[in-house]
Amino acid sequence: MNEYEPRTVPDQKIAPGALTVWRIASLIELLLFALVPFAYWWLSATFAFLPFWIIFLIIGAWVLYGVFNVILLPKWQWKRWRYKIYENEIELLYGVLVIRRVIIPMIRVQHVDTEQGPLLRKYGLSSVKISTAATVHEIPALEESKADYVRDHIARLAREADPDE
Amino acid sequence: MSDFKRQHPISIFVSFFGNLKQMIITLIVLFFFGSSQTRGPWFYFLVLGALLVFSFLSGFLHWLTFRYRLDEQELHIRQGLIFRKKRYIHQDRVQSIDLNAKLIQRMFNLVEVRIETAGGGDEPEFRIIALNKEEANDIRNELLYGKKKRETEAPDSDGNSVLSEEEIDEETVSKEPDYTWKLSTKRLITAALTSSGIGVAATFVAALFSQVQQFIPETWYETAIGFVVESSVLFILSFLILVLVIAWLIRIVSTVLKYGNFSIEKTGNDIVIARGLLERRQLTLNRRRITAVRLVQNVLRQPFGYTSVYVESAGGGTKDEDLSTILIPLCKETEVKAHLEKIVPDFAFERPLTGLPKKSMKRYMVRLTVPAVIAASAITYFFDYGAYSFAAIIVALLMGYWQYKDAGIGVNERFLWMRMRKFARTTVIVPKKRIQTVEVTSNPLQRLNQLTTLEVSILTSITGKTFSLRHLSKQQSMNYYMWYSYEHSTKYNEETKS
Repeated sequence: MNEYEPRTVPDQKIAPGALTVWRIASLIELLLFALVPFAYWWLSATFAFLPFWIIFLIIGAWVLYGVFNVILLPKWQWKRWRYKIYENEIELLYGVLVIRRVIIPMIRVQHVDTEQGPLLRKYGLSSVKISTAATVHEIPALEESKADYVRDHIARLAREADPDE
Repeated sequence: MSDFKRQHPISIFVSFFGNLKQMIITLIVLFFFGSSQTRGPWFYFLVLGALLVFSFLSGFLHWLTFRYRLDEQELHIRQGLIFRKKRYIHQDRVQSIDLNAKLIQRMFNLVEVRIETAGGGDEPEFRIIALNKEEANDIRNELLYGKKKRETEAPDSDGNSVLSEEEIDEETVSKEPDYTWKLSTKRLITAALTSSGIGVAATFVAALFSQVQQFIPETWYETAIGFVVESSVLFILSFLILVLVIAWLIRIVSTVLKYGNFSIEKTGNDIVIARGLLERRQLTLNRRRITAVRLVQNVLRQPFGYTSVYVESAGGGTKDEDLSTILIPLCKETEVKAHLEKIVPDFAFERPLTGLPKKSMKRYMVRLTVPAVIAASAITYFFDYGAYSFAAIIVALLMGYWQYKDAGIGVNERFLWMRMRKFARTTVIVPKKRIQTVEVTSNPLQRLNQLTTLEVSILTSITGKTFSLRHLSKQQSMNYYMWYSYEHSTKYNEETKS
């Protein structure tokens, strides 16, 4: 086969607010996990054979997990996230450990939705969901007006896409 | 216009026996695990009796309230006692029609009709449990070949407009099939002998064995335990071999029953696959709905040059075949092209493969070896002769090398094909216009060597399916990525035009 020029990576970033939303979400999750040391503390008080010092290991792990999940991971994720809408396709690039790069042709797009949970709504953001017959893809956070624009834009391009190809 | 009709009353018994079959499993479970003598066995029989009466009643009510009528190219259905439901199934929406005859239905010369509709949403599938053969055939012919007067092009399931192949359909209606193929007895037996999936059967047999233990008297058991302790390795080995042999026999019988009398008929765009000795199944598949062709060679078949051919299609897959449909249970590798030419001509072409870069060999081998090392270390730690299990590492290394050797990929203008191996060697052929999305992914270990995985998603029966080829070089992946890019190809076309 002929060699192709590697295409430049997509250049559109997602909303900076996404970072805040993700951090809040991970923080809530982290607070839930805070129950684990408490549970161990109670258990070690009840059963003599559970040594007390392990609780420091658990707390240490909890702090490390917190630093990673609340501070580092969202930042890396946000930095990596890119998308671009071409006339004939949508391209996404995302992922921290596993990096994924996807082509979704316009003619394969079945429908596009915008979605908003309470956290996203509070920060005036929306996610855009793009569905094909076989897969679903998401641009996780865009400013509301931008998300609406992107949704309508994709929907229009998908309608116009030449089905003969 | 005819009036609404009911199904054959046998349908009551079909659903009743279906329920009974499920209850037998419950019964067995109850006997094995529920024998806590607090409540007498009569309690279970009472519950069971109530369930039987209830399921008979529900079968009866279903028969009573279920009515259908075949209108021109449309099937009307009414059902429900309290919540009435009316349903119209129009020819245009039909994806595939399945005529199925289980044992009970066969005894009365009846069939079950299963209709799959496009974009089904909550209920893509629809069943009439028991119908006369003639009537079922009428429904099938009307929904498949009934007058098709469509002037304009109608879009098919995934939004591609269908070329004017409709006319070809019309011409070939009720003509002799263009092509028929039967699985010969010799091939059937070869297929049965070399069928894989022994693993599944083996677990089943092993589970059964472990349950049977409960019925063996204590004294026998103790002698057996003594015997086991004395000659553990020998005993375990012979036990394993016994289980495998029994599992193999089960596989042979079930394969013969499943694929006996296998035949393919092709009429126009419709491929009719009939099969089964006890349970007859007849599936009608539209050639235009095929989204991929898969050639599978398991380890037992490969040395003899045999392969089996599956198709993925929007509609028509069965659960026991991983939502694909088997097109040819067994044929020589060299015959594949000729078969495809007759059945799905677009898919018959030479497929030169490009191998993977040298550096990906290491990744394939390491990926299998690491779990083998961990498992072997654990076994060595816990068991006496465990050190022998380190032989598994050599097997893992060889397997990894084999996977690397067999992996390959290729494209032409309209198709992409990939070959990969887990245990069986699989070749997937996908038309470009059937690919839903293409992804290139890389995990941290792959990034160390600049390797990537290529993932191709297509539409099958209900959901999508993703085929992936691991450890291509970055450049390779990008080439196929750009090959798929509609943006790129459109631009390229425009440039060449002007």
